Amino acid sequence: MTTCRGGGLFLLAVLAPAAGRAQALQNATLRRAQQAYDNLEYRQALAFGQAALRERLAGAERARAYEVVAFSYAALDSILKAVDAFKQMVLIDPERQLDPNRVSPKAYSAFDVALRQVLLVRQLRIDSTSFVAGQGAVPIRFMVTQPARVVTRAIGVGGVGGGGGWGSAANFLVDSSAWNGQVNVSWSPRLPNGDPVPAGSYTVVVEARLGQNTFSASQQIRVTHGRVDTLPHLTSLPGYQYLPETEIPAQTWRPLGVAFLYTGGALIGTLGLESSSLGASSKRELGVVGAAALVTGFVMTLRRPAPRPAEGNILYNRLLTEQIARRNADIAKENVARRQQVQLTIGPSLKTGAPR
Amino acid sequence: MSRGGWGGGGVVPVAMVLLGLGGWPTGAGAQHLTVAPQAVLVDYREVSSGLRYSGSGFGGVATGHHGKLSAAASVVRLTLDPTDQSTAGAGFKATQLDAWVGYDVASHASVEVGILRRTADPEFAAQSLGALRLGVRSTYDLGPGATVSFRVDYLAAPKFSGGGRAAFSIDLGLGLDVRLAGRLHGVVDYAFERVNRKTNPGGTGEIDAPIQQTLARLGLGIGF
Repeated sequence: MTTCRGGGLFLLAVLAPAAGRAQALQNATLRRAQQAYDNLEYRQALAFGQAALRERLAGAERARAYEVVAFSYAALDSILKAVDAFKQMVLIDPERQLDPNRVSPKAYSAFDVALRQVLLVRQLRIDSTSFVAGQGAVPIRFMVTQPARVVTRAIGVGGVGGGGGWGSAANFLVDSSAWNGQVNVSWSPRLPNGDPVPAGSYTVVVEARLGQNTFSASQQIRVTHGRVDTLPHLTSLPGYQYLPETEIPAQTWRPLGVAFLYTGGALIGTLGLESSSLGASSKRELGVVGAAALVTGFVMTLRRPAPRPAEGNILYNRLLTEQIARRNADIAKENVARRQQVQLTIGPSLKTGAPR
Repeated sequence: MSRGGWGGGGVVPVAMVLLGLGGWPTGAGAQHLTVAPQAVLVDYREVSSGLRYSGSGFGGVATGHHGKLSAAASVVRLTLDPTDQSTAGAGFKATQLDAWVGYDVASHASVEVGILRRTADPEFAAQSLGALRLGVRSTYDLGPGATVSFRVDYLAAPKFSGGGRAAFSIDLGLGLDVRLAGRLHGVVDYAFERVNRKTNPGGTGEIDAPIQQTLARLGLGIGF
């Protein structure tokens, strides 16, 4: 009795929401079973639950009735019977999941044992994804509760063509292997000739077979086609910038020095070549021109030097331009290929197939 | 006394060829072309220190540069008067033609050929001279639009109106071309000419009759 009370305490948390649900139940017997369970009257709940199962119930209410019966058996320490009831429940509602933090360990272990005693394909998930055809795959995840031969197919919906071409239902074998537990497979949505599968809705069907037992689950997905983004052409390379092709040399006294040198050369030449018999020549002419040269040299020394070509920078810029041109040629080539590619976008459909 | 007219030899045809060459860059898309009227200062001495003249004049110069080729031609009209120390009784006028064609052999150096022709008026007031130029020139850019040059020319095959010969004749010069504003250029040039002329009057033996001239040309020109 203590156990029953303990189990009841655990179940309080689980069934608190169920109290609300009891009001929504259509079947009166099932409603009374739920109320009895809520009041921790497990035997009465068991009796009402079993009585409800003998009545005509919809699928969800039948699963609910088995759940009440299973929890009641678990509370009454009839684990085997609880397992049987849970088995019936998951056969009707294979996606039913119990939270181990909120139900009693006895009930959860019974539920777990039940899962491993029936062949189910649960928690079929297909994530949304997008990729270039031929360069990606659709990830498909599901759980098989018993070791079984599992065949995964993608079937075109609404006349979507496949290997047989347009007009006939496409049927793509995704995977066929023996699996148990969590399974991850992927589907590369391509036709045998390598082309992407036509856009449209597809149903991914996972069928598990163990002896005479079979179970299948399905989920609809939608495949849409799109253009692959092309790459923009480069105008610069990241981290590399064009350098100025001229540079202003440092200011020096060189112009004045050169003017001195040239004027001095003229003066020395004049003095050296003067004829002794003719006497010293007039220096007026040299004075005028030499002074002009020296003044010009001095002014040019003070002036900002003229920009001159920076050979290193010119060479660097030429290499950079060539590199950008080469990269753009590669990008153009890649864009040609990208324009021939198809971007496949896989999105889940709201409609999920019922397990069989 | 032999009066070998210098224009009667091969100098004039050569000069015409060189002048033709000198004019070529202007018609062939020269990179730089400058045309400038010039004022001239001159000092002229001949034979002895007592025969000295000083004067001025005017003229014009055209220079061009195309690739490695350069050319220049200058014509000046000079009026020379005896200086205070001169023993000469009267002055004279002279016309001097200079022409060069140069070829750049290095970034700052070029070789050049050309002519020199100076005629005196009256004819016997001073020696008229004709010669070929063979020389080198060094040119350096002082800064934007400013170029200084220094040249040394050997005056080959000189001919004198009064006859004689000159084994050693040289002409050196200092030039400056400055872009003053826009196309306006200042063009100045200094030339020192020394000719070791020797004559043999009456066959009695050679005597020295040197010629020495300094010339300054100052001009404002238009650059193209």
